[in-house]
Amino acid sequence: MIRKHESDVSWKAGLLAFAVHGVLFVAMVLSINWKAAHPPMNITEVELWEQLPNKSVPKPVEIKEPPKPIVQEVPKPEPKPEPKPEPVQEKPEPQPPKVDIELEQKKKAAEQKKLLEEKKEEKKKAEIEKLKKEMREEELRQEKTAEQAEQKKLKDLQALMRDDKPSAAQQASSVSPSVIGEYTEKIKAKIRGNVNKTLCGDGNPELRFDIGVLPTGELSGTPKLVKSSGNATCDEAVERAIIASEPFPLPEDTAAKAQFRNLKLKFKPNGE
Amino acid sequence: MNVANDMSFFSLVSGASLPVQIVMIILLITSLFSWWYIFIKVFTIKNASKDAEQFEASFWSGGDLNKLYDGLSTGRRKSQGMASIFEAGFKEFVRHKQQGRMEVSDVMEGTRRAMRAAYNRELDNLDAHLPFLASVGSVSPYIGLFGTVWGIMNAFRGLSNVAQATLSQVAPGIAEALVATAIGLFAAIPAVIAYNRFASSVDRLSVRYESFMEEFTNILQRRI
Repeated sequence: MIRKHESDVSWKAGLLAFAVHGVLFVAMVLSINWKAAHPPMNITEVELWEQLPNKSVPKPVEIKEPPKPIVQEVPKPEPKPEPKPEPVQEKPEPQPPKVDIELEQKKKAAEQKKLLEEKKEEKKKAEIEKLKKEMREEELRQEKTAEQAEQKKLKDLQALMRDDKPSAAQQASSVSPSVIGEYTEKIKAKIRGNVNKTLCGDGNPELRFDIGVLPTGELSGTPKLVKSSGNATCDEAVERAIIASEPFPLPEDTAAKAQFRNLKLKFKPNGE
Repeated sequence: MNVANDMSFFSLVSGASLPVQIVMIILLITSLFSWWYIFIKVFTIKNASKDAEQFEASFWSGGDLNKLYDGLSTGRRKSQGMASIFEAGFKEFVRHKQQGRMEVSDVMEGTRRAMRAAYNRELDNLDAHLPFLASVGSVSPYIGLFGTVWGIMNAFRGLSNVAQATLSQVAPGIAEALVATAIGLFAAIPAVIAYNRFASSVDRLSVRYESFMEEFTNILQRRI
């Protein structure tokens, strides 16, 4: 490797060679700071929904056409309260005539009775009218409060769409079906993202799975197939997608989370 | 796959797959050797040209050639370069002269052969390691490229298991793989430059030796 005449300089040359590599290595590590090329990453999690959750869809429609629901709702409550007061007032009516008939069979009595009946009928009519007015007023109030409540809910939901956490906590205080529907929809959307759709063909078969979701968002067991799509590969693909979708999105509230322990999932791989 | 926030040089090397790491180690060793030889050649060629200059100065100073020969042969160090050519030629010439009754052309032919042999040995010493530098210069980029291709293959194979492919899943693998090419180029570029430089230096030295041989032959011929 080394000639005789080179043995004098070989040590010197070897040291210099190492020095060159050392210098280059240090330059590479220090001056080319490859960490600096990476600014701190802002990781934002984005959930892609193919469809909006159930609740949010109908409400915008209500905003645009507020008079319609009022007109529809007015006739509905009317028949309900009316039958209640009427029998109460009709009961005293037949009683006095019966008493009259039993005590006297004279015309005076009959006339008096007629007068009384007329008066009572008048009173009754007035009372009914009053009651009706009251009922209407009450209904109007109820409608207004209902409207207000609905609008409040809507605002809450809009806020929830904007930023999930605070309003979600408020809404979930009473485990409303809207929250469950919303998160079921989210879970479905997440699973749908993981399904290999080519395995399920062109049609849109419906599958039913019983799955248990722990409060941590994980599955409590293997998903149980309740209703098959009729295609074994499709069933397997969906089952794999469910397992791959862990952790599932869950509401903040613990009471709401408990609702997902036994979740009956109707699932269409190619969308609703 | 972990998002590679840490892309320091160390993590790039340690994160590479085994074949790529082996390629890197081979290239590092090659680079070390080539630099070693480069420095050896720098020193030896510098010494050789310095020696040639010194010898030419003393040879053309007009002193006695016998004295010069004695000074060289009694020296501790074995004479090199031009001095060794002179030594071989003069020894042969003196021997022929002592034997006597020989043709002039035979004496000169023998002297020339001795000098030619010494010249070849010297040239061989000067040319040492140059083939190694030439092969490092031409081959190490390919070795580095092999490591890179292997690393990128692995990076893309890992990508096939992911549903949504992003750049951050491939980038670390490619960066790791490219380190191999970088090391290969680092080994090759100095080797090529050094090879070209040393080849021309050796050429110039050999021309110098040859012209000295011609001139010395003429001087010896005149002395007969």
